[in-house]
This record gives sequence, structure tokens and C-alpha cells, in this order.
Amino acid sequence: MSLVFELLQQTAVIIVIAYLFSKSPAMNYLTGDRLKRQELLVLYIVFSLFSILGTYTGLPIQGAIANTRAIGAVLSGLIGGPVLGVAVGLTAGIHRFSLGGFTDLACAISTTVEGLVGGLIYLYLLRRKQPENIFHPFVAFSTTLVAEALQMLIILAIARPFSDAVALVEVIAVPMICANAVGAALFISMVRDQKRVRDKVGAMFSAKAFTVADRTLGILSQGFSSETAREMAEIIRQETGVGAVAITDREEILAFSGIGSDHHHAGNPIVTKWSKQALYENKVVFANGYDEYFQCPLAENCPIGSVLVVPLQVDQEVVGTISLYEPKTKLFLNINRSFGEGLATLYSHQLLRSRFEEQKSLLVQSELKLLQAQVNPHFLFNALNTIMSIIRKDSDQARRLLLQLSNFFRTNLQRKSDIVTLEEELAHISAYLEIEKARFGERLSVKQEIDPTLLDLQIPIFTLQPLIENAIKHGIADLLNQGEIWVRAYRQGEFVIIEVEDNAGNYRPPIDTQGLGMRLVDQRIKNVYGSEFGLTVEYDPQQKTLVQVKLPIEKELANDSCVNH
Amino acid sequence: MIRALIIDDEQHAREELEHLVKGTGAFELLGSCSNAIDALRRIRIEKPELLFLDIEMPALSGFELLAMIEDELMPHVVFVTAYDEHALKAFEEKTLDYLLKPVSAERLLKTVHKVRDAIRRGDPPRYQVEPLRHIPCQFANRVKLISPTAVGSVFSDVTGIHVVTSEGQFFTELTLRVLEERTPLLRCHRQYLVNPKSIDEIKLLDNGLAEIKTLVGSILPVSRRYLRQLKVYLQL
Repeated sequence: MSLVFELLQQTAVIIVIAYLFSKSPAMNYLTGDRLKRQELLVLYIVFSLFSILGTYTGLPIQGAIANTRAIGAVLSGLIGGPVLGVAVGLTAGIHRFSLGGFTDLACAISTTVEGLVGGLIYLYLLRRKQPENIFHPFVAFSTTLVAEALQMLIILAIARPFSDAVALVEVIAVPMICANAVGAALFISMVRDQKRVRDKVGAMFSAKAFTVADRTLGILSQGFSSETAREMAEIIRQETGVGAVAITDREEILAFSGIGSDHHHAGNPIVTKWSKQALYENKVVFANGYDEYFQCPLAENCPIGSVLVVPLQVDQEVVGTISLYEPKTKLFLNINRSFGEGLATLYSHQLLRSRFEEQKSLLVQSELKLLQAQVNPHFLFNALNTIMSIIRKDSDQARRLLLQLSNFFRTNLQRKSDIVTLEEELAHISAYLEIEKARFGERLSVKQEIDPTLLDLQIPIFTLQPLIENAIKHGIADLLNQGEIWVRAYRQGEFVIIEVEDNAGNYRPPIDTQGLGMRLVDQRIKNVYGSEFGLTVEYDPQQKTLVQVKLPIEKELANDSCVNH
Repeated sequence: MIRALIIDDEQHAREELEHLVKGTGAFELLGSCSNAIDALRRIRIEKPELLFLDIEMPALSGFELLAMIEDELMPHVVFVTAYDEHALKAFEEKTLDYLLKPVSAERLLKTVHKVRDAIRRGDPPRYQVEPLRHIPCQFANRVKLISPTAVGSVFSDVTGIHVVTSEGQFFTELTLRVLEERTPLLRCHRQYLVNPKSIDEIKLLDNGLAEIKTLVGSILPVSRRYLRQLKVYLQL
């Protein structure tokens, strides 16, 4: 019985070693992935030493040594595969052999075999696609049990004289088998627990990172300003638990939250060398608090001791920084360091995106301007030419036309809002149509059929104008006989249909430039209301072209929802 | 006095130009036309020396009108346009001059000098006319524009020139000569043109004559004179 207790004492040593092992970098290798050569080498050294230690802490019994050498060999095989197992077993075996005794050869061989057994179980588990079971204590227990039983058989088979071998095995078999199996199970269980804790920390950290990202990205999408920066800094500080968080642009602090806020204010210029370095050299700057101290240039008694400054960049250009601070009394956690860097990368992407969105909206606005400008040359000069001719015959009509022309250009040039009522849009095109009617005379007639309850309907500006222009330019102006244009607005179930029809039927499916104005109308409506709305064209060559605009009936438009400012 | 014709689809534009043209006292105004088809008729009747030609006109542009005029009838041309995106092109066509609407009387006087000089020197009006993209045909009260590739054959009889397509027969104002020169159509008889892409079979008859059957289904006579050319063209 005393042997069992003494072996259990040894397992206590094993547990201490397992604990130390779980804290060492070698622990990082036990991810269940295939190991690299260098990692195998480290594990080989660790487990060989462990196994040899098992020999030294063994108890000499009847000229042999009762020991826990098997644990190192079996576990190395189990964790690193047959090659590592055999290598560790052989190393520990040769070492044992060098110590002598009548079981020296038997022990050397059996230790190698034990490493091989561990390795075979490893292969078996991999083949069964259960690599996670390698770290199961029961597997370690059973494998070591079998391996130790094998060792006893090998001692019986090889050690001479046989009678001594039998006597030895009688004494050591049960305690060694039990102690090694329990020891291996304990070791693995220890390692597994440590691994679990790490995974859990990792998961918690990821969850935290996602929370921060989720809470702050929405804010950032509203733009990079002191307002949004303040909210973001607050959230980052809460979630990470760091001492303080600062967000700056290129010149000044946009927001500061946390310790030292009595003298670190939003609006202060950037003064610390770390922030300047991050800004101008576009790199992550870290003063960890023991190799390099954070020294506050503003206040002697500033509680801040360490700092991480990460540049925010858009398109290679640094637009600001995010700084995380810890007080002098606290270590700057590595985890927060990588977190800060990750966050800055994320924000940089988001900023790039917002810049892209901004440019896209600018593009839409400039296209709108283009649409306004598009009408100009032909219409203007033909109108002037028409009016010059009419002046000779009917100066009153000429005066009326000049008024219409100036009204048309005034609204075209002065429109500020992006949304107008249908009534306003109709008034605008009627000025245009009056001039075109004078120009084409009897060749052009325009009929309007407008549901009067729709006159207050809000529509994107310039929705009708390009359609009318197209009907005239590509329809009526190309027609030898009477040209007719119908402008209609009516309800159809849930929708409002605004349509322009001509009797020329000269519409040519896009490709050519006439598409530009119509395409813009379609795009803007889809942007505002969704893709089920917009423009459709129906045409019957030489008979008619019907362009329909489909809009929702209910949706009230916010004044700025058409084009972002 | 320069015999001139004004062609513009807009009534007010025509009246304005008529007024200005008369004001110079240099022109004998033969009339004004509102489209290319009318203009072609008037040109054949009046044989003007000069056209004031609007470029943007319904159905057939000013450039297309030029492509429809027979070489011997070709007058000098002054293009009139509201916007000068065509001005450059007009110059490339070696037109005599161009005017921008609204036209000023002073600018028109310069044109008068240019035209007088050209006529005095006896410069022949030469335009590098483009191939015809449309053959304008009468169809009810409309002008039907037929692409030369859609034509099976063209023939002339006492009533005029007829274009045959798979959709039927259409009357056109253009001459066989213009059609032969400015489209890919081939002459196969004094009174017939055929689209070589539309030939289904050629039947050789006695005494050096032949008959063409087109894909549209018409039978065309081939005279001795044109059979040889046709054979060369078709590499028979």
C-alpha cells in the first residue's frame, strides 16, 4: 500500500509539472492542429525531460525502479503522434538503460513501446475524425493503462532471471499501472482545463470586439466628427475597461473619455509625441508603461502610465488616431493592444466606405446638375430663333414667350429642394411646352389628364422634364405629320402612375445618349422608393412610345431623402 | 440674283430666314420646304443654285437630303443650325458656309459674298455624300424609311420608282441612278436594281438573257448588257 501512496505523491509532482506546462508557450501548440517541425522539437524536449524526471523520482524496488516514466512517453505519442512518442520513449528508455539494473533493457524497450502505443491511439483518433478526444482524460487513462500492462509483460518476457522479474511485477504492477494511468489522466485534464479557459477568454474577447464594433460602426457611419467621436470613445472605454480612450483628427482631440479627463479635453491640440508619431509616420505607437513611460506634457500628476496610439487611415492617408490609455497602476493588456489595432483597421474601412458613399451622392448631385444643363443649347437657341421670328408678326405673343422662357430657366437654375409637388413639376414643363408649341405650331398638340387629387403628390425633382424633352426631341420633332403628346397622372391600386405618351414611336432601346436623362430619373426613383418602382417604356414602332413612372402612393418623403447632403 | 431654296421644318424659322434672305436683295427665293421629301421634289423642278439647309429635321436630316440628290442637280449648300455641334462636321463636308440660329443680317451678308464668289468662279458643288442609310418611301400619309439591306429589288415603270421588300411595294422619289450609286443595290436591267444579298437563283436563258429570282419572290429580267457585270460581281 505504501507504494501506492508514494506513487501518488509522484503524481502530485506531475500535476505541478502539468500546471507549469500549461502556462508555458508549449501550451500554444496543443490546438489539435497538425504540429510544425519546430513545435514537435519543443514538445520532444519537454516530454523527454518529463519522462526522465519520472525515472529519477521513481522508487528503487528489488533492483528495479517503480516510476512514472510512462506518462511522458504515452502523452507525447498521444499529443504528437507515433514519431514523437517513439522518440520520447526511446530517449527516456536509453536514459533508463544507462542507469542499469536487471530490468534496464526491458524498461528501455517498454518505454519506447509505450510512446508507440500513444502514437497509435493518436493515429486511430485522427482516422476516426475525433481529434478532440486526444485531450479526453479517459483516453489518456486507458491508453496509459494498456501501455503499462504491456510494460509488465515485456519485463516478464525480457528481464532475467525470470523469477526476479515475476517477483518484481507482483509488487509494482498494480501500483504502477494505476499511478501512471491516473497521472496521465490528471495531466491531460489539467491541460484541457487550461485550454478551455483560454478558449473562453478568446470567445469573450471576440464577443466584446463584436459588441464594440456593432455599437460604434453605426455611429461612425454618421460621419467622423467630435459628436460621433465622443460616443465612440465612451463605448470603447466601457467595453474594454481601459483607463481612458481618446479619438483625434489630424489637428486636435475630438473626444476624450476616462481618467485624466480633467486636463485632457476635446478641442485640445495634439501634444503627445506618441500621437504625433502615429499621425505623421502612419504607424501603431505603443508605450507599455515599463520600457517606456507615458509622460503627460500637460499635468505632472496625470494618472496615465501607458498608451497605445493607432492611426486611422483612409486611402493611405492618416485622418486621425484612436488612443487607449491605462493608469500607472495597471498593466497594458496585450489583448487590448491587439483589440485597439483591430478596431482602428475596422474604422478605417468604415471611413473609406463613408467617403465612397459621400462621393456617390456627390455624383448623383452633379448628374442632377447635368440634367438641368442638358436642356440648354438646342432648346434655347431654337426658342430664341422662334421668338425673333414672332416679334415681327405678333410682339405680344413674343413677349409672352420670353416670359415663359425666363420662367423655365429660372426654375431650372434656382430649384433648391430635391422634392417638388406634381403641380410644381407640371407648371415647370408647361412653360417648356408653351415654347415648343410656338416652335412647332400645329404640328404639336399636348393633352393633360391629371387626377386633381394627385397635385400635392411629392415627387423627385426633374421627374417629368426629361420624359417630355425626349417625347419632343425624339418623337414629335421627327414626325412629319401631327404630333401628339399625352401627359397623365392617375392612381392604380397602391401606386401612382405618371406617364408621357407620344404618337411617334421613335424610341430606340437605350444605348444612345437619349438614355441619360431617363436613366437618371429611373435611378433616382429606385434610390428613393426601392427597386420595384421607377421607369418602364412600352413602344410600338411608328405608332407610339409610352413612358410610365411608377411611384408609391402612401410614402411621405422627407425633404432630404432623395439626395444625401 | 442667286436662285435659292430654304429648307427647315419649323415654320417660324423658315419665315425668319425668308425675311433675312429677301432683305439682302441678292437672292431669288424659289420657296421654302418643311422636309427633305418636299425639298427633293422642289430641287428637281426648280434646280436651285443654293440651299439654306437646316440640319435637324424630322425623319430625314439635312445630310440625308444631300445623299438623295442626283449629282447633276447638286446645288451649293449653306447649313443652318441652332447649335454648332454640327458646324464642324458641316465644314468637313466642304460645305460652302454655315449659319447659326438666330441668324444676324450682317452674318448673312458674308454668306452672300461667299456664294457669289463660288458661283462666279464656277466651282462645282461637290459634297462627299454619305451612302444612303434610308430609302424614303411613301406609305399612306407617312414616310416610310426603308434600310437598303431590307430591299429585295427596285424597278421603274411609267408611274415611277418602286421598292420591293418582303412587306410589299413602296413608291419612292429617288432615281434608279441615285439608288445604284449610293446603296449596295446592283443594276441588272435598264429598269431594275437587285439587292445581291437577296438573289435566290439566276436562270440563264437563250440569246444571252437571264432571269433573277429574289428571296422576296419577284422575278427580275437581266439584260445582256448587265449580265456580264453581274457575273463579274458574283464571281460566276
